[in-house]
Amino acid sequence: MVIGTGTSDRRAHRCLFRRLSRRLSLLGAIACAVVHPAVLAQSAPPAQSPPPDGVVAGQGAAYPKGSYAALDQLPDWGGIWFLNRGAPGAAASSPILKGEYRERYETWLAAAREAQGVVTRNRSNCSPPGLPRIMQLAQYPYEFIFAPGRVTINQEAWMQTRTIWTDGRTHQEDPDPTFMGDSIGHWEGDVLVVETLGILDDLEIEAGVFHSPQFKLTERISLSPDNPDVLVNQMRMEDPEAFAEPFEVQVTYSRNRYGVLYEFQCAENDRNPVGEDGHTQFN
Amino acid sequence: MIISNKRLLGTIALALAVPVVPSLAHHSYSMFDMRKTVVLDAEVARFKWQNPHAFIEADVAVAGGGKERWAIEMTSPNNLIQAGWRRTSLRPGDKIKLYVHPLRSGVKGGSYAGVRFPDGSTLGEVE
Repeated sequence: MVIGTGTSDRRAHRCLFRRLSRRLSLLGAIACAVVHPAVLAQSAPPAQSPPPDGVVAGQGAAYPKGSYAALDQLPDWGGIWFLNRGAPGAAASSPILKGEYRERYETWLAAAREAQGVVTRNRSNCSPPGLPRIMQLAQYPYEFIFAPGRVTINQEAWMQTRTIWTDGRTHQEDPDPTFMGDSIGHWEGDVLVVETLGILDDLEIEAGVFHSPQFKLTERISLSPDNPDVLVNQMRMEDPEAFAEPFEVQVTYSRNRYGVLYEFQCAENDRNPVGEDGHTQFN
Repeated sequence: MIISNKRLLGTIALALAVPVVPSLAHHSYSMFDMRKTVVLDAEVARFKWQNPHAFIEADVAVAGGGKERWAIEMTSPNNLIQAGWRRTSLRPGDKIKLYVHPLRSGVKGGSYAGVRFPDGSTLGEVE
């Protein structure tokens, strides 16, 4: 395949295509019309990003060749993983909030009680929860993909993708706040240790519980020593503005070896829009 | 919420036990009354196998003739597979008994709890 970026090369290809399609001139015209904008967009190479802090130019996840064999040393996390639900009636622990975050939660709780448990929502149900909640979903499994310098977590929920960089880079100095934040990981033996910063502060940790921009999530993910088909994620959450003390919670996932993630197109099945009053509708 | 049992040929059962509410899902379950279980004698109109939730649309006969359409939300296909479901488990026209936690709003809909198939076999909670 030709990878040249010269506009004239592209034009020649297009004209050849059109000549070949001359007998089907309408088809040729349509094909050229569809191709045209893409050709323009690709006529200049993309601006090149510098290597991230902590990675030497020419190394890191962007240069995977030569590093694939080393992946075989990593633990066996193949298959897909379902969250293990808590035992019925088990009390769920929550972070101890302080200041405005506590007041905000209490206001939310009072409103929820007033409405017999019907809670309001300020975003579409087709908007994913972001971290750390996206790692605690009971209905949608996960898969973990190892590649040189990175671990990718595919999440069935909202077909979300999470990247954990393991190529030695450090956190971005001022990461854009996002649903998945800036995740930097490393392997301690068979334990993947991940620290995430830069999670959007308008996302909830759990219903009614918000965090500040200072929120930091540390995960230690490893196979259970008792059962190789159970994956353990020890989550530690710290937030000097919102939490009175660090909050730790452990979740586990169980393996379905040959299971596969199922497609998730929320917009195609948005039967639960959120009304103006913040209540989830049912269509 | 009150569902008038005069209008339904299906029997209505109120479960006293609080079932395990799916903890974190696509949306809150607070729109459903998870403490109530309604039993519907229903005919499947449509079974939609999809994320974020599979769905059963079913018709329930009402006293005096006619029928009403219920929309029953289920969990995800991947979770349903774990519980024994398949995309082909239900087909339009199947006559089933549906156990659902009804919407608080009174709209004809609910959250799936269990089903009894025409051959008597069951999936989910059918108490």
